[in-house]
Amino acid sequence: TAGNRIFHFGACKVSMSTAEIRAGFTAIKANIQSRDPIRTLSILSHPHSLHKVKSPDRCCITHHLFNFYVDKVFKHCTTEDSFVNRKISSIANSFLSVRRKLGQCHEQNNCVCGEESMEKYKQILANYEGLNVTSAAMKSLGELDILLDWME
Amino acid sequence: DALLPAPQNISILSTNMKHFLTWSPVIVQGATVRYSVEFQGEYEREYANESWIPISECSLSTATQCDITDDISASVAYKLRVRAQAGAASSQWGSLEGFFNRVTTALTPPVLKVTADGCHLLVELQDMGPALQFRVLFWRKGHESRVRQAVLSSGSAGAHLATMEDGAEYCVRAQTHARAIDRSSGFSPTQCVRAQGDTSVRLV
Repeated sequence: TAGNRIFHFGACKVSMSTAEIRAGFTAIKANIQSRDPIRTLSILSHPHSLHKVKSPDRCCITHHLFNFYVDKVFKHCTTEDSFVNRKISSIANSFLSVRRKLGQCHEQNNCVCGEESMEKYKQILANYEGLNVTSAAMKSLGELDILLDWME
Repeated sequence: DALLPAPQNISILSTNMKHFLTWSPVIVQGATVRYSVEFQGEYEREYANESWIPISECSLSTATQCDITDDISASVAYKLRVRAQAGAASSQWGSLEGFFNRVTTALTPPVLKVTADGCHLLVELQDMGPALQFRVLFWRKGHESRVRQAVLSSGSAGAHLATMEDGAEYCVRAQTHARAIDRSSGFSPTQCVRAQGDTSVRLV
């Protein structure tokens, strides 16, 4: 449903809705993934799945990933397709909303960054920087459901 | 350069999570004037060089309003603008004054119809779109301390709320809830019906 839910990321509790992000992504998933020729590589799941991240580290890695998508990914995903661009805008603006709430946990020190989450995040950045920026951005956007599934 | 005046009186009509941009028509004798609308979210302002995104359904349209609901799908501040075109001539952009954030949408109580079918308490609610759901409160008259609640999604034509006791009178009222922004409307007027044999006697 499109309703707000309480997400628990370790000690951080955030009331938010991922339904609209997922709806926006589902509408363009096939289009975005068709632009990603290298299907054997993953940005988020290589070498280890996000599911390996321990609970205390969930908030930190989530916060870093939302920063990653806002700062690095969306801006390199402009396409020639107006519908796709509008959906990417919806997702990007929704990410800003969620990131703001996650930021509140940071301020309240409920979002501790352990060694493991930093290691995982560095690996994701290395995967990203190993490709040219447009391919990396499109691949990352195409993996959004991996992030959403893990969050939920 | 702009031969046409920019559209004026640009405003938002936002009710129950449906958002429309409206403006006054630009009048040009003997010409058909068309309009194009663009939006800019907080992301575009902060991270994408203040870029604007066209709404294709409202590009070169003769209408003086545009349904922007699908594009305003995050609770952030949006800017909107519209310009006029007639033939090769086009106006400057006219912009909505200030920002629009969907959290300010006006929420109205649902229209409901309460009926008693024998001993069954039924409610019908007007469909108000997928973004909304209804919180329905119902109680037996005289037992106001024991109010019960049902949450129904918009579009659920009818719902069976309760099995009533013979001859008892039951009352119902409801409010609209917008899940994405976590806000609710006021309550609808209370409607009461009596059980047993009354197919639809509404006692107000």
